[in-house]
Amino acid sequence: MSLSREFELWVEKYRPKTLDEMVNQREIVERLKRFVETKTMPHCLFAGPPGTGKTTAAHCLAHDLFGEGYRENFLELNASDERGIDVIRTTVKNFARSATLTDVPFKILVLDEADNLTADAQQALRRTMEKYTDTCRFILSCNYSNRIIEPIQSRTAIFRFTPLSFEDTYVYLRRICDAEGVELTEDGAQAIYEVAEGDLRKAVNTLQAVASLGKPITADGVYDVVGWVHPKEVAEMMDYALKGEFSKSRSLLRILLYQRGYAGSDIVKRMHSRIFDLDISEKQKIELINYLGEVDFRIAQGADEEVQISAFLARLVLAGRGSS
Amino acid sequence: MTIPWIIKYRPRRVEEVVGNEDSKKKFIEWIESWIKGKPTYKAALLYGPAGTGKTSLVEATARTYGYDLVELNASDQRSEAIIKRIVGIAACQGTLTGAITKRIILLDEVDGMSEEDRGGLKAILEVLEKSHQPIVLTANDAWDPKLASLRSVCLMIEFKRLKQWEVVKKLRDICLREGIEADKEVLEFIAKRSEGDLRSAINDLQTVAQGRKKITIDDVKWLPYRNRTEPIFDVLSMIFNAKTISTARRALSLIDMDPDMIFEWIYENAPSQLTDPRDLAIAMENLARADMVRSRVKLFQRWDLLAFATEMMSGGVAVAREATKPKWTPFHFPERIKFLSSIREEREIMESIASKIASRCLTSKRTIISDVIPYILFILRNNPDYGIKLLKSYELTNPEVEFLKRKAEVTAVEAPRKRSRSTRS
Repeated sequence: MSLSREFELWVEKYRPKTLDEMVNQREIVERLKRFVETKTMPHCLFAGPPGTGKTTAAHCLAHDLFGEGYRENFLELNASDERGIDVIRTTVKNFARSATLTDVPFKILVLDEADNLTADAQQALRRTMEKYTDTCRFILSCNYSNRIIEPIQSRTAIFRFTPLSFEDTYVYLRRICDAEGVELTEDGAQAIYEVAEGDLRKAVNTLQAVASLGKPITADGVYDVVGWVHPKEVAEMMDYALKGEFSKSRSLLRILLYQRGYAGSDIVKRMHSRIFDLDISEKQKIELINYLGEVDFRIAQGADEEVQISAFLARLVLAGRGSS
Repeated sequence: MTIPWIIKYRPRRVEEVVGNEDSKKKFIEWIESWIKGKPTYKAALLYGPAGTGKTSLVEATARTYGYDLVELNASDQRSEAIIKRIVGIAACQGTLTGAITKRIILLDEVDGMSEEDRGGLKAILEVLEKSHQPIVLTANDAWDPKLASLRSVCLMIEFKRLKQWEVVKKLRDICLREGIEADKEVLEFIAKRSEGDLRSAINDLQTVAQGRKKITIDDVKWLPYRNRTEPIFDVLSMIFNAKTISTARRALSLIDMDPDMIFEWIYENAPSQLTDPRDLAIAMENLARADMVRSRVKLFQRWDLLAFATEMMSGGVAVAREATKPKWTPFHFPERIKFLSSIREEREIMESIASKIASRCLTSKRTIISDVIPYILFILRNNPDYGIKLLKSYELTNPEVEFLKRKAEVTAVEAPRKRSRSTRS
C-alpha cells in the first residue's frame, strides 16, 4: 500500500520482529521466550530509559506468541497520547471482551509511558487490570518505575531494561549498514555510541541522518548531525543569562521547549556539556553542575520543565555577575 | 475582513435583546407612550454596567418601531453649540418636511462628559424641554452628582449585570451559527469571566473560537480578566512587597483565581520586580520548589501538600527581596500563555505530522517531536529528495512536507564543535 520500504525511517524498517532478532537485554529476552514456550505470562512492567527496546520487546513477544497476525490479539496505547483514563478503560473493555481465536488463552495490551498517568488514573487502571485478568495481560512500560504506584508494581513482573552497551549498539548499526550498503567506520560507530548513550532510537536516527549525506559514516559526519540536531539556542540562552538578561534568556527557553519541541531533559544535557566552556570560576561551575543535577531530577519527577530550567538560568545570571 | 461578532450578532429585534426583562418592558412602554402621542417623559436615562444591553435595546427598538436613530457617541464633540445644532434639529424638526420622520435621539455615555462639557449638559436640558422626539441617554454611573438635574427630568431605567445563564445562552446561539462545537463548561467559563458583560463575553468567544471548529476548556482557561478592576495586580503588588510570609500568603486569598494561574503571574513578573540577581535567583528557586510540590500534589493526589506550594510561591518570593530597591514596575500578563497560543497552529501541524509517524514507529507523538523530527529536518536540509520521499512514505500531506521544509531552513545551527574532551558525567 505504501511506497517501497526503501524510504522508511530505519528505526521502523530495522526494528526486530521476533525475540530472536533482539540482540540486547539478553536476560529479559530469555524470560520472555519462556512465556512463549509455556503460552502463559503475568502482567508485566517494563522499566527503563528511552530507546532500550521496551515497546519492541512487547511487540516481539506478541509476534512469537500469536504469529504474523499478532495485531489482532495485541493492542498498544500510549498514555501520553490518550485522553485520560476513561478512554483507556473503554478501549480496554472493548478489546478484552472478545476471546482470542488462537490457542493462547489471553490477549496482550501494552500501555506505553504509564508513568505519565496520575496516581488516581493508575488506581483505576489497577482495577481494570484485575477485572480483565482472565482474558487480557497488561504490559506497562515506563521510564521511571518509582512513578508507578505500589499496588501495580506488586501485581506485575518487573523487567528492568538497561542502556545498550557499545557492542550491542554496534551489532545493530552493522546489521543496518550491511543491508543498506553504507560504509561504517570504527570511529563513526564509536561517535554514534557516544552521542546516543545507549539509546538505540537515537543511534539509528543519527546513523540514517549521516547516511543521507551519501558518504561513509565517520565521526565528523556524526558530529555534523549532532551539532545540527542540537539547537544553537541553548548556547545563546546561556549567554544571555550570563550577561544578566534573564528575560531574553527565558524567551529563548520558550522557543526551544514549545516551538522546537525539545524535551527539557535534552536541554539540560546540552547545558551541562556547555558549563565546562563558560568563562567562570571552577567553584561556580561545580555549583551550577550541582544545581543542574537537581533540575534534571525534578524534571524527571514530573515538575514543570520551563519553571525548573528558568530557576537554573537565574543561577547563571548570578554566576555571570560574580565573574565580571 | 472579519466582522466583530458583537456587530454581526447585534440584536435586530427587541425580543432578541438579552436579559433585563423588566427594564426592557419599562422602556417599550415609554416608547409606546410616544407613539400614542402622549409621552410620559421627554427623555429616558438608561444606566448600568457596560455590556448589559442599553445601546442594543435602543437600536433594536428603533428598528422594531420604525424610528430613525440619531446617535451621538462619547467620542464625539459635545460642546454646547454642537449639541444644540444636531440634537435640536433632530428633535424639533419632525414636521418641517411634511412627511413625518420618527427619530430617537441617543446620547451615549453622558456620564463621560467632562467638566468642559458643562455647557453641553445645559444644552441637553434645554433641548429636552422642547423636544418632539424621544431622547435616550445612557450612563454607567447615573449617580454622578453632575447628572442630578438630568435625573429629575428623565425616566430612570436601570440595567443590571446579565445572569450567567443568559450570557451562556447567547454564546451558544453564536456557536451554533458559526458551526463551533463548545461544551457547556467552556461557555460557562467565558460567561463567568465576563461578569455579566455580554459584549466582553462575545469578544472573548470570538478571540478563542474564530476559525475553529471546536473549543475546549484549555483554550479559555487563560482568558485574561478584563481591566475593570484587575485584582491580580493588587495581589501581585502585595506579594512582591510583603514583609512577612503570612501577608504574602493572605494575598492569594484576595482573589478568586486558579492557583496555577496565580503562579503563572508571579513566575512571569518575578524578573521585572526583583532586579537584583541574588534576589531573583532565590525567588526563582522558591518558585521552582513550589512547582515541584505542585506536581507531587497532582501526581499523588496529595492535596494536603498544597499549602506548602502556595506558601513557597507567595512567601518564598516575598522573602527573596533584600537588595532590590522598592520601585514601581508595571505587571504584565504571563508571556508563556500568550506565546503558547500564538504558536498553536504550528503545534497542531506538528502534532498531526507526529501522529502519522508515531503509530508506525511504535512511540508517542512527543517522542517523535523531540527525538525523531530533528533528524528528519537534517535529512531534509542536506538531501531534500530523499527526505521528501521519506516523509511521503508516511503519508504526510504536501502542506505538511512544506511546513517541515520551512522549519529545516530556519532552524539555527550550532557551530560544529569537536569534542575535545568527554563531556559525559
